[in-house]
Amino acid sequence: MRYVNIEFIKLQRSLAWAVVILLPVIAVASGSMSSLAADSGLDDGWHTLWIRSIGFYGMALLPVGIAILASLIWRTEHRNGNWNALMSTSVPTSTTVLSKTAAVAVLSALMQIVLVLTVVGFGKILFDLPGMLPPQYLMSSVLVIIACVPVAALQSGLSTFFRSFAAPVAIALVATGISTTALLVDISAVIAVPYATATYATQLGTSLVEASNTSFDAAGISVGTAGLVAAVSSAATAVIVIVTTWILNRSDTRA
Amino acid sequence: MRLVVNEFAKMRHLRVGALVLVLLTGVVGLTAFRGLASGMTAQLGDPAGFPWKILLAGLGFSAGLISPLVIAAIASRQVEAEHAGNGWLLSATSGVTPGRMCRSKFLALGALVTAATVLQSLILIAIGFGLGITSPLPLEHWLGYTAAVIVVNLAVLAAHLLLSSTIENQLVCMGIAVIGLFIAVFGSALPDWLAMLTPWGYYALTAPADYIGTDLVYLDIPYLRVMLLGLVGVCLFSLITARFDRREE
Repeated sequence: MRYVNIEFIKLQRSLAWAVVILLPVIAVASGSMSSLAADSGLDDGWHTLWIRSIGFYGMALLPVGIAILASLIWRTEHRNGNWNALMSTSVPTSTTVLSKTAAVAVLSALMQIVLVLTVVGFGKILFDLPGMLPPQYLMSSVLVIIACVPVAALQSGLSTFFRSFAAPVAIALVATGISTTALLVDISAVIAVPYATATYATQLGTSLVEASNTSFDAAGISVGTAGLVAAVSSAATAVIVIVTTWILNRSDTRA
Repeated sequence: MRLVVNEFAKMRHLRVGALVLVLLTGVVGLTAFRGLASGMTAQLGDPAGFPWKILLAGLGFSAGLISPLVIAAIASRQVEAEHAGNGWLLSATSGVTPGRMCRSKFLALGALVTAATVLQSLILIAIGFGLGITSPLPLEHWLGYTAAVIVVNLAVLAAHLLLSSTIENQLVCMGIAVIGLFIAVFGSALPDWLAMLTPWGYYALTAPADYIGTDLVYLDIPYLRVMLLGLVGVCLFSLITARFDRREE
């Protein structure tokens, strides 16, 4: 826990808050924009608002946001010889990798919490919707938080080895595009890929698609789907952390 | 010219070619997928040219979705090397001012972005013919859109080169790119005057085809506005890079 705290100390004045807050807020605002512009209501209340908010966000932007956060976490280590200082401390490499992953995962979880709060705020204040966000979407959000952990591990791993801030972000965009496309064409095995796991989790419980071939069949929230997301996320995170640690232990010092 | 050649040499180490390839294949792949998923192959003989319309509409959507972030990454890659290696100062001591370097980077990267944009259209047209579309190719729509999106891509590239040169923290630049992506994708819901204020809004303004009700129709591309963007872009880029020339490192 101490090492995760250290990561957050390094992030002070890094503008990480801007990504954590602005990305989900803009996603919800963009999704609601057409209804607000036309001054029309939401056909199916909270469900429509949630689907419009999470649809594009989950299929394209969530992994990009996580990638930006991971690049930010590693940014300080790629500057001024910090890399060699970090690698020559007595802290085990696995602890470094885990603490970086945990810091990115916590920020990703905060992004999802901000998204939920923004949806609730928009629903109550702008659209005057009755009741509250259906609990299935809160459950879905918990699963999104879990599914973000392997993406955080993978992007943290990429940012470990890429000095460039932008390159891992571009990789995340492309990988998300490919995995979303694979989900669209119903290649179910792709759920094992972290980007697809996250996208799959964001669409859980939405009836965005009804066997249409323009989007994938969003599953309902059940013990089965929750177990699938949790199991795949745990396994993928473990593999990614082990592989990153193994490669890092065999990496040379940097000039 | 020597400076532009230098920029191409830097690109080899920075893997900028791979990012340009991502720009090309990402847009082509997504457009082709959307076309195939929309049942394009079932209407290859449509005399109204539905398959060409669906491909062009998909190209407009894909360009707005992929180009803002990938072009930002390309610009960021090419510029952050100067920040990391103190290249601005090193070049300035050999007589190459930061403004000249920015202009060289724009020429080098602009050539690649333009080539990728032209190839996107050519490959999609080839895919269309390869699949067996029998209706005549609406050449003026494809030419017009390709020319317009080249101007938009170059304006976005210039904006990101200036941003990445000015702001060392690339988080800000990539963050602005993500906001740009939102504007590009959702810009059609904005009033035209608001979309016109940023280069990303032009991805929405130049949408070449879209559904109106249940009909997929070609849309008029606002050439005058795109020319205005190009003109304002050239003026601002020249002005700001000229100021860079007098900047102390």
